[in-house]
Amino acid sequence: MSDELAATIIGKIKTHAAPEAGEITLDTRLDELGIHSLELTEIVFELEDEFGIEIETNAIDAWSSLSNVGDLVEAVRGLVGTRA
Amino acid sequence: MAASGVEKPRIVITGLGGICALGTDVSAIWEAMRAGRSAIGPITTTPLHELKVACGAEIARMPDHGIEHKRLMAMDRFSLLAVIAAREAAAQAGLSLDADASARAGAVIGSGVCGWEMIEDNYRGILLEGRPRANIFSVPRGMTGAPSGQVSMDLGLRGPVFSVTSACASGNHAIASAADQIALGRADVMLASGTEAPLIWGILKGWEAMRVLAKDTCRPFSADREGLVIGEGAGVVVLERLEHALARGATILAEYAGCGLSADATDIVAPTVEGPAAAMAGCLADARLAPEDIDYINAHGTGTRMNDEIETRAIRLVFGDAADKLSVSSTKSMHGHCLGATAALEMIACVKAVTDGIVPPTANHRVPDPACDLDVTPNVARVREVRAAISNAFAFGGTNATVAVKAYRSQ
Repeated sequence: MSDELAATIIGKIKTHAAPEAGEITLDTRLDELGIHSLELTEIVFELEDEFGIEIETNAIDAWSSLSNVGDLVEAVRGLVGTRA
Repeated sequence: MAASGVEKPRIVITGLGGICALGTDVSAIWEAMRAGRSAIGPITTTPLHELKVACGAEIARMPDHGIEHKRLMAMDRFSLLAVIAAREAAAQAGLSLDADASARAGAVIGSGVCGWEMIEDNYRGILLEGRPRANIFSVPRGMTGAPSGQVSMDLGLRGPVFSVTSACASGNHAIASAADQIALGRADVMLASGTEAPLIWGILKGWEAMRVLAKDTCRPFSADREGLVIGEGAGVVVLERLEHALARGATILAEYAGCGLSADATDIVAPTVEGPAAAMAGCLADARLAPEDIDYINAHGTGTRMNDEIETRAIRLVFGDAADKLSVSSTKSMHGHCLGATAALEMIACVKAVTDGIVPPTANHRVPDPACDLDVTPNVARVREVRAAISNAFAFGGTNATVAVKAYRSQ
């Protein structure tokens, strides 16, 4: 079940990552994806649409505390859980 | 108005960078200009939808710039063009900026429009395709100040960095303002630039409405001219305090001589003779040059009926008898009217004219016009010594800026 959410998020990240980014796993550091911090926020917005969640925070600071893909997955899972 | 009595530092040009339809670096651009080769043609790189205008001066293929994906995503095309040209100029100048030097180096970049790629994409996406949000990079990509910020990040410039805008005179206002930063002691080195990427449906649609665009090509000063052709590009000059350039053993290409700035204060689009004349006269006074010291005028020369005739009259008014001894040309006939970038690209023509002793021609010229009776260097470059050159830029809004450069002499 957790894998489904993770796979969705990794799939989204792949469409935005730098062509040379290579394999993406839960342990991949966000700063190694070659993705601008604002673009990462854009990915989160796409996840909002997909899962019907809403993040009340400002775009630039939103995800500064996350360090790897797994952190992002868990953050989204938390919000999805709250909604439920 | 010359600031007489004020001793200004000498400012020299130590680097050039450029990218436009004529080529993706200065040597390619200059080679095309010398040959009188026009790069105006059908627009192929951008969707034109139902536009009637179909010709422009586009950069058909971008060079391999190697800018990483993460940074590229945050740049609209006008920023990317500025960064590419700035890298070339900084490399030619041999700038190596340690922490101390970087605080004394800056950039002023002119753009007449803004970053329109993302704006266009947003409107189409939201209004036509039902997308829920604007792209998250809309603001940082679109803002007119983006190119100066991007160039500062790319080269590590930590001194005065900002953008200026005055429509089609933006490039010259940027050069003048960059020189002022050095003259005022705020910086030792300044990159001065103009950049624009206006070959986008929304912008072209606006120009189309004004009915000033030529159908096939741009023919400045030719009696059969039909109007202007929009182009894209960026030009950069590295301006440097003379002592600073000498101390680090830089190769000096030419000397920045001065500028003249004026406004018509009459109409948002219709030009006057007096405003441009005041800019040229002010430039000569600031540069302490007489009319007979100027060998080349890179004209604003848009190829519209009104501009070319009025500019001719303004040149005659300022230069008197000397007007018939100097060479004039409009390189817009080759690289198109690159709006906020155009004067910066034309500064490349002026500096190269001074260093190489070659006046680039007015391409596509077919029929002499009695109302444009200067030596407009039709179609073929002219070999002649160019001791000093001025570059004219007269914008919508009636904002005029003329910049002078001259051959560098140690005394």
